[in-house]
Amino acid sequence: MKLTARSLIATALAAAIVSTGVAAEDVKVGALMGITGPLANFIPPILNAAKLAEADVNAGGGILGGGKFTLVVSDGQAAAQPSVDAASKLVNLENVAAIMGGLSSGATVAAANAVSIPNKVLQLSPTATTPVMTDMEDDDYVFRIVPSDNYQGRVLAKIVLDEGIKKVAVAYVNNDYGVGIAGTFKAAYESMGGTVAAYEKHEDKKNSYRGELATMAGSGAEALVVIAYAGGSGAKIVKQSLENGFFDRFIGTDGLRDDILIEQVGADALATSFFSAPTSPADNPIAGPFHERFDKAYGEGSDKPFVDQSYDATMLIALAIEKAGSTDRTAIRDALREVSNAPGEIIQPGEWNKAVKLIAAGTDINYEGVSGQHEFDAAGDVSGYIGKFIVKGDTYEQIGIFE
Amino acid sequence: MMEFINFYLIPGITLGSIYALGAVGVSMIFGILRFAHFAHGDLMTTGAYIALMLVWVLGVSPLVAMPIAMAGTAIVALLLDRLFYRPLRELPTIYTVIASFGVALILRSLIQVLWGTEAHVYSPGFQKPLIFFDSLRIASRHIQIISTTLAIAVALHFFLKHSRLGRSMRAVSDDPELARIAGIRTERVIAFTWITGACLAAMAGIFVGLDTDVHTNLGWNMLLPMFAAALLGGIGKPMGAIAGGLIIGIAEELVSYPVLGVSLLSPSYKSAVAFIIMLVLLIFRPQGLFKGRLLQ
Repeated sequence: MKLTARSLIATALAAAIVSTGVAAEDVKVGALMGITGPLANFIPPILNAAKLAEADVNAGGGILGGGKFTLVVSDGQAAAQPSVDAASKLVNLENVAAIMGGLSSGATVAAANAVSIPNKVLQLSPTATTPVMTDMEDDDYVFRIVPSDNYQGRVLAKIVLDEGIKKVAVAYVNNDYGVGIAGTFKAAYESMGGTVAAYEKHEDKKNSYRGELATMAGSGAEALVVIAYAGGSGAKIVKQSLENGFFDRFIGTDGLRDDILIEQVGADALATSFFSAPTSPADNPIAGPFHERFDKAYGEGSDKPFVDQSYDATMLIALAIEKAGSTDRTAIRDALREVSNAPGEIIQPGEWNKAVKLIAAGTDINYEGVSGQHEFDAAGDVSGYIGKFIVKGDTYEQIGIFE
Repeated sequence: MMEFINFYLIPGITLGSIYALGAVGVSMIFGILRFAHFAHGDLMTTGAYIALMLVWVLGVSPLVAMPIAMAGTAIVALLLDRLFYRPLRELPTIYTVIASFGVALILRSLIQVLWGTEAHVYSPGFQKPLIFFDSLRIASRHIQIISTTLAIAVALHFFLKHSRLGRSMRAVSDDPELARIAGIRTERVIAFTWITGACLAAMAGIFVGLDTDVHTNLGWNMLLPMFAAALLGGIGKPMGAIAGGLIIGIAEELVSYPVLGVSLLSPSYKSAVAFIIMLVLLIFRPQGLFKGRLLQ
């Protein structure tokens, strides 16, 4: 009798072990986003894109043997300290397997240094562009799928000179994003023969920039390069420049290319202005069907900035988790390059189920997304595409692409 | 010289006026209820968003919407007092201070739920400033902001000096025990403090929206300069708060003025100015310019 009881327990235990071995595991991934703050206007479509990836995984059979894949959204206000708090909440309270985000460079770098790297959590940013991230001591836990501003700064310098503008003033915001891109732009522009007549950094969130602008207007520059978030200081700078006649032509980066700029100053006033921003490859056959699917699910927004990148980043994290076979954070980090880089069977957006089968069969896969090929180098960076945009109607239109 | 007035002094006075309107409420609440009201910035935001809703729904200008927004904000403030602050009134004030911090987060989150997190403007496009004497440039909205603040300052002065309620408020601020014994109805004074503070906060919020844009962190971002202004003027001294607000606003803008081609301070450190002034003041004249109460 005694023996039977013992063997019963043993059998039950064994069964329990076996069943946990095959049972589906639910997986939580953090989405660190600046829901409030200077990037608030960008967020709704970006969040929808991440949700679409989440839905694709669950509709395609789930993750880790049929488990539910859940995005936990956390607001980092696109600022350093709130992002550290938000990331810390994701890692320590929600116990997420990896983090998708942050959006702004300052938020991403701060969260990575204070939370992701010490806790050994993979962090993949869909949008952070600062050159700082390339040389960061990150133990390979920090990745991004947009090209570094080293690249955008150089391309922008070329675009400006191609427009025949030889002398500019630069107003940049005092954070990782502004300082990084302004520095690379200035160096490249001057080395190509342009003159930076005024070069002034400013603080976000102030109400008046007229003083600085008046000084810069006196420098004789033909146009003002604004490297700032439209919702933070960018739109105010453009508006106050126009009101007071300081500048009438503006050159912006991805932070300024926000619909709120057009809403605030009107499209007519921006007729001669142009913008640079990371973009998706021009002739990517994946993009059309993906955008149709996106608009069908959410009504609109597939043309908004960073929708493609947000979907791809979420999908890459899901694939890396599936490849790792567990929520072991270091294994996920190691799996990311395996699922994203060539060689391997090509996986496209919406092919989650196919990817799961290939991974189960031990086949190497290579995700190619809406926003590019995503071949990570040793620093966790990708090469990519920069588009040139102008204002058309009440939105932006891409008129050129640089690889 | 005109550049100094147009692009440094006038924006400075505008910013100072906004700080002043917010700081009056902070100073009065500090004086009468004896706690630092951290939700005051978010009351500003509330006012700005009520006005935004009226602009959207009725298509009126934000200045027309202002009285209704002020009334709405006053009701919100009275409700907050009834629900959160009054039950804590007998406890040490630190409870109320922390509660106000929580109220600030609640208000902001509610605004985000109701109106979304995107920034908005009352009216799109930009307006060229008015030009006087061929050289003085001033935007009409800045004239509105500055003149309204001046009118408020004058009205507030006469109200506190000559009206019965105003004198009661000063009495409660100076010595609440004595005021109570003298038969002043403290709860009525408190209610009126909230109404005045909230109305001026709503006004300040709408002015920020008018000058730049309306977003959910609008008031929170201005909270610290407003506290600095209230301290500078002297706690419990509304006229001091107005002076303090103007001084801080103007100082923030003027420090980046280039004298002989060199800025006193890089514009990116503007925000530090309020705190430098506040620290210097606390060390050398802790009762504030207008001899307010000492912080204990």
